[in-house]
Amino acid sequence: MIEVKGVTKIYGKKDNEFKALSDVSFTIPDGASVAILGKSGSGKSTLMHVMSGLDKPQTGQVIIDGNDILRLKTKEVDKFRSRKMSFIFQSFFVQGNESCYNNVSLPLEIADVSISRRRVRVEAALKAVELIDKKKSRARDLSGGQKQRLAVARAIVNSPKILFADEPTGNLDSVTGGVIENLLFNYHRKFKVTLILVTHDPELSERCDIQIHIKDGVIDSIKRKKK
Amino acid sequence: MKIQSIVIRAGRSLKQAKSRTILTSLAIAVGAFTITLSLAAGAGGRSYTDQIVSANTDVKELSVQKSPPKSQKGPTKYSSNIVSASTAFFSGELLTRTDLNEIQKIDGVVSVTPNYNPQIKYITRAGQDKYLASISAFSPSVTLKYAAGSVSGNLADNEIVLTEEYVPALGFKNNQDAIGKNVEIITDKLTAPISAHQTKTFPFIVKAVSSKSGLAFRSQSSLLVSSSSARAMYDYINIGTQSYDDFAVASVRTTSEQRAKEVKDVLIKKGYQAQTAADILGAVNTFINVLQGILLGFGALAILTSIFGIINTQYISVLERTQQIGLMKALGMRRRDVGRLFKLEAAWIGFLGGVIGSGLAVLAGTIANPFISKALDIGDIRLLIFNPVSVVAVVVGLVLVSVASGILPARKAAKLNPIDALRTE
Repeated sequence: MIEVKGVTKIYGKKDNEFKALSDVSFTIPDGASVAILGKSGSGKSTLMHVMSGLDKPQTGQVIIDGNDILRLKTKEVDKFRSRKMSFIFQSFFVQGNESCYNNVSLPLEIADVSISRRRVRVEAALKAVELIDKKKSRARDLSGGQKQRLAVARAIVNSPKILFADEPTGNLDSVTGGVIENLLFNYHRKFKVTLILVTHDPELSERCDIQIHIKDGVIDSIKRKKK
Repeated sequence: MKIQSIVIRAGRSLKQAKSRTILTSLAIAVGAFTITLSLAAGAGGRSYTDQIVSANTDVKELSVQKSPPKSQKGPTKYSSNIVSASTAFFSGELLTRTDLNEIQKIDGVVSVTPNYNPQIKYITRAGQDKYLASISAFSPSVTLKYAAGSVSGNLADNEIVLTEEYVPALGFKNNQDAIGKNVEIITDKLTAPISAHQTKTFPFIVKAVSSKSGLAFRSQSSLLVSSSSARAMYDYINIGTQSYDDFAVASVRTTSEQRAKEVKDVLIKKGYQAQTAADILGAVNTFINVLQGILLGFGALAILTSIFGIINTQYISVLERTQQIGLMKALGMRRRDVGRLFKLEAAWIGFLGGVIGSGLAVLAGTIANPFISKALDIGDIRLLIFNPVSVVAVVVGLVLVSVASGILPARKAAKLNPIDALRTE
């Protein structure tokens, strides 16, 4: 379970002060799919950063499985991220000059997984996104959709509990975007992973259990699908 | 993150920026090249002088001179009490018979032999031309290289060691042909009046022919006779002259190496100047060490410039890979590991530069060695000696220096805020 309690994040100082998030609170049950919706500049990306411990808000708590990750030391937050979280970004952030294999292997290396176990898991992840035949190709030679599939493989390889996706289909056409969507939702259903999508695409958000609308750093509405 | 994984990632990202990596490491290679060569030259030089000194001297022997006058500015005042000489090569007091007898009495001294260098008129052989020659006394402690024949122990009084160049000159077919043949040395009595000059012929049998050796101290063209023969000739030539029985240098033989040191102290107390084999070696080596130090200084300068090269390259690399660093940190890579990644990249650059530089130095030195030996006419002695330990030490040292110069860029990478790094717009 993820509990966000009274989170306020302010950028800049004094005259240039800008409240990106203002007293945001909500709860996400384990294994839910969540869409964080809002216009650009509404604070939805900041919310994702705060929930993943990448950014520290001025006040508030983010409690994941009973631990307030905002109170942890940097070292422990890093460890937490490498064991339990994964990210998918709008602009992929795959390492173009590295092979597909080494791109996917990176999170496992960070999490100190042994070479032999790394190989098994990297290959499984590449198979899941149907890129196993591109194992040795350099990531820069892939198409946009393939790059995002590679990013999905990198995100699922360490079997995360929480998967953050920041506009995962934003740079893709509708067909390839649909493929990525299906990959993410299938994985979410199959492994009961909490999926947190940051998007402004209403169609995508309708597939989620919870929709959190953000407007100017404040929660506008939270809709929960009835099961 | 495991060090092994970081090392591999660091190596891979350098491979992806090949030309930049190679160019940066070439700067280090220049320093590595200079340092490796100067270390080799120092080692070679020291080993060469070591060989020279041990081939020409005996640890039991001392080389004794009369103490030079106390250091003072300007020329030395004449004094009728002191026997002195002043030539282009030697200036100072000379040892007299009295001195030699005094030295002989010191406890532990076996023999005192002044350097007899009889100024003979010429050397010849029946039916052959006459040649000038310099004569020295044979010493068993000097290692000679023989082209034919050999001397074990001491030379007999009627025996002579020729050098190779006298073999064809004196009409021998080859070196071997000369062995056992007779030669004659003609000397001139200096005090005899010009109108009735007196000469004496000293006959010798050729015992051996010495070939040129890179280790020889003395003039390569000296012909060697026994100490007493040298003295006999010296006496005949110089008796009655003013400088008769005065010598610049005498060699003092003692019973042991330890004794040589003790005798040296006694001699110095008595006002003589005495040097053991180790002293001579030390003096020459000081010179070599200074030269080596200068070369090492140039190498260090090259390394210093390359340090800035590494810092610059790594800063650019951090800037270029901002996104990658952001991603790695988002994936939970620790600051320490991000820093290590960049420090290890610097280490790889240093390693590469060290290996290229010292590898080229070893290659160039190995190729150049025979040419250097030939140019300096020192036979088959190698002046550049590559000690594997010092080559490895150079590479390791450069890796450490590179890591140190990677610290600042690595810190910048480690401090990078992942959110800023991942913002693309």
